[in-house]
Amino acid sequence: MSPNGVTDFNVMVAGQGGDGSLTVVTLVDRLMRRHGLHLYTSRNVASRIKGGHAAALLRGSDVRRGCIGDHLDLLVAFDAEALEIAGPRVGPEGIIVFDSSHGEPRTEVAIDPTVQRLDIPFGRLSVRDLRRDLFKNSFGFGVVTRLLSVPDDEAEDVLSERFNRLPPRAKAANIEALRRGFEYAEEHGIEQGQGRWRFGRAQAHGEHILASGNQGAAFGFLAAGGRFFTGYPITPATDVLDYLGPRINKLGGVVVQAEDEMSSINMALGASMAGVRAMTASSGPGIALMQETIGHLGSAEIPLVIIDAMRAGPSTGMPTKPEQSDLDMLVFGGNGDFPRIVLAPTNPYDAFEIGVIATNVAQLYQGPVFIAMDQAIAQDSVTVRRFDVDSVEVEPGKVVDAETLSGLEEYRRYAVTADGISPWATPGTKGGLSLVTGNERDEWGLVSTEPDNRVEQMDKRERKVKTVESLLPAALRGGDPDAEIGIVGIGMEVGVIIEAVERLAKSGSSYATFMPRTIWPVPDETIEFISSRRIVYVVEHNAEGQLKRVLAAAGAPPDRMHSILRYDGVPFRPADLVAALSERASVA
Amino acid sequence: MTETYTPGKPIWCAGCGHFGVQGALVRALEKVGAEPHETMVLAGIGCSGTIQNNVSAYGYHALHGRVLPAATGVALANPDLTVVAAGGDGDGYAIGMGHLVHTFKRNPSLTYIVMTNETYGLTKGQRSPAAGPDPAHNEGIDSVRLGLSIPGSSFIARGFTRQAEQLESLTVAAVEHANAGRGFAFLEVLSPCVTYKDLYPQWDAAAYDVDEDPAYDPMDRAGAFATCQRLDDEDRIPIGLIYTGNNESMEARWGPGDRRLNPGGPDDRDVLHGFLDGMAS
Repeated sequence: MSPNGVTDFNVMVAGQGGDGSLTVVTLVDRLMRRHGLHLYTSRNVASRIKGGHAAALLRGSDVRRGCIGDHLDLLVAFDAEALEIAGPRVGPEGIIVFDSSHGEPRTEVAIDPTVQRLDIPFGRLSVRDLRRDLFKNSFGFGVVTRLLSVPDDEAEDVLSERFNRLPPRAKAANIEALRRGFEYAEEHGIEQGQGRWRFGRAQAHGEHILASGNQGAAFGFLAAGGRFFTGYPITPATDVLDYLGPRINKLGGVVVQAEDEMSSINMALGASMAGVRAMTASSGPGIALMQETIGHLGSAEIPLVIIDAMRAGPSTGMPTKPEQSDLDMLVFGGNGDFPRIVLAPTNPYDAFEIGVIATNVAQLYQGPVFIAMDQAIAQDSVTVRRFDVDSVEVEPGKVVDAETLSGLEEYRRYAVTADGISPWATPGTKGGLSLVTGNERDEWGLVSTEPDNRVEQMDKRERKVKTVESLLPAALRGGDPDAEIGIVGIGMEVGVIIEAVERLAKSGSSYATFMPRTIWPVPDETIEFISSRRIVYVVEHNAEGQLKRVLAAAGAPPDRMHSILRYDGVPFRPADLVAALSERASVA
Repeated sequence: MTETYTPGKPIWCAGCGHFGVQGALVRALEKVGAEPHETMVLAGIGCSGTIQNNVSAYGYHALHGRVLPAATGVALANPDLTVVAAGGDGDGYAIGMGHLVHTFKRNPSLTYIVMTNETYGLTKGQRSPAAGPDPAHNEGIDSVRLGLSIPGSSFIARGFTRQAEQLESLTVAAVEHANAGRGFAFLEVLSPCVTYKDLYPQWDAAAYDVDEDPAYDPMDRAGAFATCQRLDDEDRIPIGLIYTGNNESMEARWGPGDRRLNPGGPDDRDVLHGFLDGMAS
């Protein structure tokens, strides 16, 4: 049998969290990048430090994909639980490499009859021959590279590169383990260069990086001049703190880990008020705690970028699972009426661009800007174009300096202007003394409940959003623009929608797709898209159809919109969406 | 000269202790030479939370309990500013207590003046955290001993509005401590609410001025705690400079160092490209 070319390959490595078994996936990841494949990687872990079923998923494809594929081609299962959970997901002609050191699954696992299973006691052999269970990873990689028809010396090269920083003895032991993998494969009849699969010729895709949405947004913030970040650890937003912590100081910036979310957002507010671009990040429960301050930012007119890496709610919910169920809170949360902007990246590159836009727009309109990412967008790592940092412009906004002020007769912090945005003197600026408050106030910043002034100030604040609307990111569109059936989805749904619609088009069903990146204010283009279709399916990860609710509140015709919802903590695969849409088409 | 806001007139009742706090602050700022535009006064919620309107400086009215995080952000963002946070015991020792504990620990260079009156005056006289469960004894929260118990603390003082000269000199010492980059200057001021809880008579009788005690050593943390504890057992309240020490400030550990926080340094882009190189391999 001649090897199958690797054009779209899904691998899962699964075992117990914290035992290092996920290292194999980082090795396969390197291998695939060498061969010019696009990567989409995802982790599926329990909310605990060690133990619990943990899996890493990797999709390598010659076409850029925004999600994990329908079926696994290769499963490396380091224990029986992994086999039980993931075995049924291995597609026809796939291979399961099972670490049989600790016995068989207790229950019957339904595995496709065309799937080949290789039982190799990696763990036991590693302990016997190399004295450490940990070496099972390199051992397993040896078998995997044989299956992928990778020459042994290339596999060794990838391993050496990955373990470059290990002490020489540990590195040598890993190479020894890898060779044991080759030998074992040999014994099972898998000769060098004769595996089930084979990489095609490497394609050049230009300069790529591997990044997550959290990293993209954090980088965009830095590129747009962000220099003050505060956070309080919470899954799945902690990556932002981890990314910026060792980096921002190299740009003269500051990261503070606060004692709670209120402290976190109020420190960021303080820095911002003093004229430094600031950001904080959290997830649903933490954003809920920040709500009072978010309204205050809107009222007192203080810029801030707030990342919400959304996990499954309500309450503490399912911390490591993706959901899009904070939309209501982001759009409608808080007391009183205040301007706010909610943006939603669709991939890590987009997160970078939106990080830049959010930082600049916050500065320009002097108010809160959310970057809303579901856990999959926030944490899944994807190969994307190198972030185009050279094209980033840092918008100064309406900050006024002492020289400008000295030429003015008077300075009012909350001056009512045509565009709603008031000139802003930051503390330390001569001639700009001002009072900043969340109480209603007059143009000078002095507290006032005078009715006409109240209306003027409220209207001025609402006007600011209109002023910056044209700077907010436009939606992505795809499919057949003339189709009468539309599909709308944000964040993690985008990659799935694109792939599902591509497949449906091949079978003769056409859909127009619309994937908003600006959630709030709802842009006119969104309303127009929905209004001009007969039916629009709104695909979401929450139970109540929050995006649909937001769109309806902004004037999209509610009778045209139908929900396709999921809230089990699992992302859609393209086949799920194809099935859901086909089923609806058959009854429509 | 550019015209800016006209400082407000205090909203406080005649005889309120807060007038004394404001007077001491205004004189102290003058004395240390803090220019109005290089000074920021941040205040919390309550009667005390209006002091920023009356002092000629950049002013900010924080959310309830959040004045310390906001002031910390300002102080880190612009270390050249004289940053003064202010509030009452209701604002600082109830909803804001977590932040006070952590501000002692972090030791950012800013001054925090707490006008303690054991009362929520603005909402008409409910008991506040400094009030004890038994009105006859001082069994409320004592943030002086709290501060002494936290290893990072570097300046702890208590004034009394009855003793205006001492209050002024303590305010000067606090602002100087912060402006010298020595860390968090905590100044509690006994500032009676004459409308709902006039504690002048009790505090007149209870106040014990450690500044007048030649045996008292404000550099000795354990000794300070022991004295405070002993006085409390005797239903007395220590006032004066309670403790001053040398602990590394927050800016020294977490701050921007030599580089300013504002972007645009010529090598910013090179640094950013370096980060991308790291994500490429």
